Amino acid sequence: MNAIDIRNLSKTYRTRKWGRVDALQDLTLSVGKGEVFGFLGPNGAGKSTTIKTLMGLISPSAGTAQMAGVPVGDARCRMKVGYLPENPAFYDFLTAREYLRFVAAMFGMSPQETQAATGKVLGLLELEGAADRPIRGFSKGMVQRLGLAQAMLHDPEIYVLDEPMSGLDPLGRALVKNIIRDLKQQGKTVFFSTHITADVEVVCDRVGVIVKGKLQTVNAVHELLAAGVVGYQVQVTGLSDFSGEGVEVTVRGGGILELQVPRELLSLTLEKLGSRGAEITLIEPNRQDLESFFLEVVAQGKK
Amino acid sequence: MDVFRATVVMTFRWILRDRVLHAILAVALLMILLVPALSTFSMRQVQELSITLSLSAISFVLLMVTVLLGASSVWRDIERRYLASVLTLPISRTVFLLGRFCGIACFIALCGVVLGAAAAVIISVSSAQYPSDIPIHWDKIGLALLADIAKYIMLASVGIFFSTVSTSFYFPFFASIGIYLAGSGSQEVYEYVSGQFGKEMGSVSVALFKAVYYLIPNFAAFDLKVPAIYGVPVLPAGLGLTFSYAVLYCAILLCVSSYTFSRRQFP
Repeated sequence: MNAIDIRNLSKTYRTRKWGRVDALQDLTLSVGKGEVFGFLGPNGAGKSTTIKTLMGLISPSAGTAQMAGVPVGDARCRMKVGYLPENPAFYDFLTAREYLRFVAAMFGMSPQETQAATGKVLGLLELEGAADRPIRGFSKGMVQRLGLAQAMLHDPEIYVLDEPMSGLDPLGRALVKNIIRDLKQQGKTVFFSTHITADVEVVCDRVGVIVKGKLQTVNAVHELLAAGVVGYQVQVTGLSDFSGEGVEVTVRGGGILELQVPRELLSLTLEKLGSRGAEITLIEPNRQDLESFFLEVVAQGKK
Repeated sequence: MDVFRATVVMTFRWILRDRVLHAILAVALLMILLVPALSTFSMRQVQELSITLSLSAISFVLLMVTVLLGASSVWRDIERRYLASVLTLPISRTVFLLGRFCGIACFIALCGVVLGAAAAVIISVSSAQYPSDIPIHWDKIGLALLADIAKYIMLASVGIFFSTVSTSFYFPFFASIGIYLAGSGSQEVYEYVSGQFGKEMGSVSVALFKAVYYLIPNFAAFDLKVPAIYGVPVLPAGLGLTFSYAVLYCAILLCVSSYTFSRRQFP
């Protein structure tokens, strides 16, 4: 059983002037247990509509979706899910601790469990100092971190995170990325939306790209990164000069030669270097990053 | 049960920390404190006037509190985007709405009891200064207060219903006030239309008036001020019917509210 199963999901909105907007079109997608899935797309592509449908805020026009084997329309489905909304807002008349207690009650946690879990997530998200302050005094980044804390409170199997890095400073972003990596190590499933490709590259197993409500492609991130290798940077010592067809050579300080080698010429170049007695100190792939891939898919999707 | 209780407690906290309500309750206490002074304007019925003014002041404050809370019950959560965080927890929308209603109802009751206790002190002070021939009927004053609380809990269910179908604060706010005014006068209109005047009206109009009469809450039955002031007997059967009507009306309206709220989309 997959952690998330979406089958032929569509959502159409009626506009005031008898028009219609197809926010989601025939989306079929599965996310396996223990997988970190990045849901990538430009603004207005349908990422949040998909997530809101999964979380029961929107009912689909057609199709079905299940999380942990339970249909998403059923409130019980959310027992095993931790959700972080996009630009979250929480009852600001409560303190962070009071809000977490409220969330714990929703999940039927005992007072002992609540106390332990509250302390743990507040510590993890570095919010202990602000735990007893009203949320209305929190900065945007603190609210975002509280959002993640309340999503993690009941130690769910599945995490659905809508733009989890939004509004965070570099330290906060690094913290969230580390948390997602930890969740992956614990075997949790993470489904998160973003339009920042660098986030996907670092933490995701697979990535799906959605454009204009249609899922364009789903790929394993490691395959994309491997396919995106266009050449290699090779550094050698023990040679004063080197020439080869298609290879760019730069002389660096300390007797180092830096070679930019096309992908198909790597073996041949390495052989040549070996035969001339060069010592290879570095081989690093030059790859087309995910952003280029993403832009390509989006451009195709918009046609 | 924990989920429901947590929703009620959270609603209660929301109300207790609302600064607008603090201001309204401060004005309410001031109004009640002014009762002894105002009662002396009636030279011979100081006690009666103090009871009238106290019950009226409480009624007015409860109306303000109810309309504000009922109208903003769901609207505020939508407007401030709280719902995206709360409705995605494992809570059904029906339980959320019911928790909201019970939290508001508890606060209305608490408000009525606190203001009633303050009024009791004030009425005692006024009547001690200018004793009346009519004894103070504390039981009937309590009953009048209880009926008022029931009336405003009914009105809260009306406000919640409008709040579940509206995206603005103004519609539920003004619609609740409109229903309150209509519900307070509907009994008189019904009797008027059912009498001689109704015979001169078209049958369609009479049927329409009667349909509206049955549709909107009848608040006239909850006005027990006269028995409270003059000690006029109140029939227990009538009281039972009135309170049963309040429970049934709230239940029906909450079912309809739950239905509309459950179907609502939050894109």
